[in-house]
Amino acid sequence: MTTGENGRHKRLRLAARWLALAAGAALVLPWWTVRVPLASFSPFVALCSALATHAVGLIVLLGVPAFVLALMMPRWFCRFACPVGFMQELLGGLRPHAKTRWLRWPFFGRWFLLLTLGGALVGYPIFLWLDPLAIFSGFFSAWRQPLTIASVCAGLALPVALLFDFLLPKAWCMRVCPLGAMQELMVVSRRLIRPRMRCETGGGGAEPHPHHSMILARRSFLAACIGVTGAVAARKVRGGPPLLRPPGALDEERFTGVCVRCGDCTRVCPTRILKPDLGEHGLAGLLAPVAKFDDGYCKEDCNRCGQVCPSGAIERLPLAEKRRRVIGPAKVDLETCLLANGQDCTACIRACPYEALKVLSDGFDTRPELILARCTGCGACETACPVRPHRAIRVVPKPGVLPA
Amino acid sequence: MKHTMTRRDLLKLFSAAGLGPVLASRVVADESEHKTKKIPEIQPIPVENLPRYPAFIRDGKVIQPERPLAVFQETDVLVVGGGAAGWAAAVSAARAGAKTMIVERYGCFGGLWTGGIVLVVISTHATENGQMTQVVRGVGGELLDRHAKFDHAIVNRGETKFNPTTDPEATMFLMDEMIRESGAKTLFHCWATDVIMDGGAVRGVVFESKAGRQAILAKVVVDTTGDGDIFAAAGAEHEQRLHAIGLVHRLGNVDRADHAKLKAAGYKSLGAIEPQPSVRWVNLRGPSSNGLDINVLTRLQFEHRRAIWERVQKMSKTPGGEPLFLLQTAPQIGVRTTRLLAGTHQLTYKESREPRKFPDVVAVGGAQNGKHAGWPIPYGVLLPKKLDGLLTAGRSFCMDDKLVEDGRLIGSCLTTGHAAGAAAAVAVKDGCRLRDVSIPKLQKLLREQGAYLG
Repeated sequence: MTTGENGRHKRLRLAARWLALAAGAALVLPWWTVRVPLASFSPFVALCSALATHAVGLIVLLGVPAFVLALMMPRWFCRFACPVGFMQELLGGLRPHAKTRWLRWPFFGRWFLLLTLGGALVGYPIFLWLDPLAIFSGFFSAWRQPLTIASVCAGLALPVALLFDFLLPKAWCMRVCPLGAMQELMVVSRRLIRPRMRCETGGGGAEPHPHHSMILARRSFLAACIGVTGAVAARKVRGGPPLLRPPGALDEERFTGVCVRCGDCTRVCPTRILKPDLGEHGLAGLLAPVAKFDDGYCKEDCNRCGQVCPSGAIERLPLAEKRRRVIGPAKVDLETCLLANGQDCTACIRACPYEALKVLSDGFDTRPELILARCTGCGACETACPVRPHRAIRVVPKPGVLPA
Repeated sequence: MKHTMTRRDLLKLFSAAGLGPVLASRVVADESEHKTKKIPEIQPIPVENLPRYPAFIRDGKVIQPERPLAVFQETDVLVVGGGAAGWAAAVSAARAGAKTMIVERYGCFGGLWTGGIVLVVISTHATENGQMTQVVRGVGGELLDRHAKFDHAIVNRGETKFNPTTDPEATMFLMDEMIRESGAKTLFHCWATDVIMDGGAVRGVVFESKAGRQAILAKVVVDTTGDGDIFAAAGAEHEQRLHAIGLVHRLGNVDRADHAKLKAAGYKSLGAIEPQPSVRWVNLRGPSSNGLDINVLTRLQFEHRRAIWERVQKMSKTPGGEPLFLLQTAPQIGVRTTRLLAGTHQLTYKESREPRKFPDVVAVGGAQNGKHAGWPIPYGVLLPKKLDGLLTAGRSFCMDDKLVEDGRLIGSCLTTGHAAGAAAAVAVKDGCRLRDVSIPKLQKLLREQGAYLG
């Protein structure tokens, strides 16, 4: 590491890192709800989501300071702010004499970064979820969920990263983390612009030799190209059955790519209907949020998931706009519907906050009728339906926007 | 003029003297018989001797003359309407020791449950603290339990089951039995039409019957007419709603019909099961209408009966449906909602769907599938805003439009009726106004009578 660091500087840095860890934890601790997504402070998330969604929202601006700082100070984020890196280092202190066998490894992180950037250009940032802040936030978000396999899996990334680094100290930061690679690359690119500046790569990265920058540029271009191809392929391949996504989610093709799996949406959801997908629908959507209306529905007075999404996978919508976003229309199974079978049940009709259901009766033939132009697929009907085990009214994934 | 006793006079005297003891002995015999059978005594009314006050026309208006009314009875608690709510109220009040009387316009208890052939008791259970719990307990729960002693009297009842369906004959019989055992006095075939007011309080009702117009005086009146006839007559603030009005019918020989063939022909369902083999009851929703409009009721009665007749005729001519026949159309037309009291608390659908507690809880509503949470019902929904001396229960208690769909069900009628009866008994015993009833005392009594309060 940096050799010229004196004691005072060291103490200062340590204090900054504790502070950053505390601040990070304060944003994601499961006992309260802060509406600022932690992961949006990461320049990696900010850049890729801006590219992928073709939009620079307020949330993306949160990543700008870190971005600017990274241009001026090599790996400043790793050294001062990264909570995951700090935790890894604290753990690493338990094994002071561990060998660094990974020094000869290739720079996976740089590949992850370039593939992701390339993917972001076509709307599918493949490895965005490797961002350390997303991993950190995902761990704490999982606490909010009831203890299930899905919540355990969603919270597993941080322990895995920590364990990885415990076994191979510093390998994660130096070789895997795309945010670390991004900072290095930014310093290198600055050197390309102002070649006379002294090289000051922050970590154990190999010193570039004279033609290194050209080779690097060529490799980067290649990686980015592969990223584009990979992303296009991923979008084609994934398909599968469409899923119930949060209101305002990007189209299914891009959603699983842009989503960083930070779990913030699942954490702030007041009815806890957003749950991490356990890969029931293919690997691409693993741990991305899906809506399940078993015990609750998407409240008409809530737009929190979009407010906290750091990557823009869920659009940040004002309440009025969110109330027009369709998760999918409700569909009635007349075979099992109680009302359609002569019982006076109107549970779904009464539960609908948008008055999108009404009783349609022709004497003996009675059933609930859906007014499609009003149904947002909030799932209130599905939650209220008394029929078991399969509810007689269910929301079918087919996102859209209601007429104003 | 000198009075001399003629032979004819003498004969009259003798025959009267002879007849007197005979008549008297009959009365005594009847009374002793009543006592052994615990049938409440009913005072004989000399119908022929009632003075008549016919209406007349004056200045082109029909005038009803002012006249004194015969007081048929004075009682502590008077329950008007013998449906599920009224029946439960009468049993509860009588068991609590209040002198109780119940007036019913038809010849049986149970209202739409029995007379309307709405045989399923929906929402008897709810999931409380993670466990499916029976919320319809107390007198209503006891009534359901007693069905189990008979064959073909109840289905879907027992450990893991909920929403039982009963045989209307068994229900009527058991309701009769429980009323008789409780000691409450019953008047069938009497229709309460007006209230007797004493300042701001109800002091009884006026009712019509084959024996003419008479009065019953009471310390407390419970309006379980369903339509809120009594609180409306007393001028209590209320709302009026429209709802679908239908007519239930029963199909016979259902087990012999070919359901698959009928389904293929477009008859989705042959109705809901009953405890009786091969019999099903079939719901008809009907159009949204005003259940207080006699022209509407009459028209719907015609139309529905015709529609049912034609449907069953058509079904029996459909391949697979030949054995089917129309067993019965319900004696009572299916009015779902009319008047709702403006109570001291309006229970809303929203409140019922949120975890919520009321300090004055007197009943707990169930969930249609037993799996959702129960919803506590506060005393305030039974109590008029200003009017004293009256409580309501059953489908007319104070709730919002959406909650009516739960509040009007038999289960809620049984539990709110029980609560109203118990509250009336406590008010009478303590000599206080209904709105001043001690809630702890009321809840204690309800719990003693087996009610579930959460």
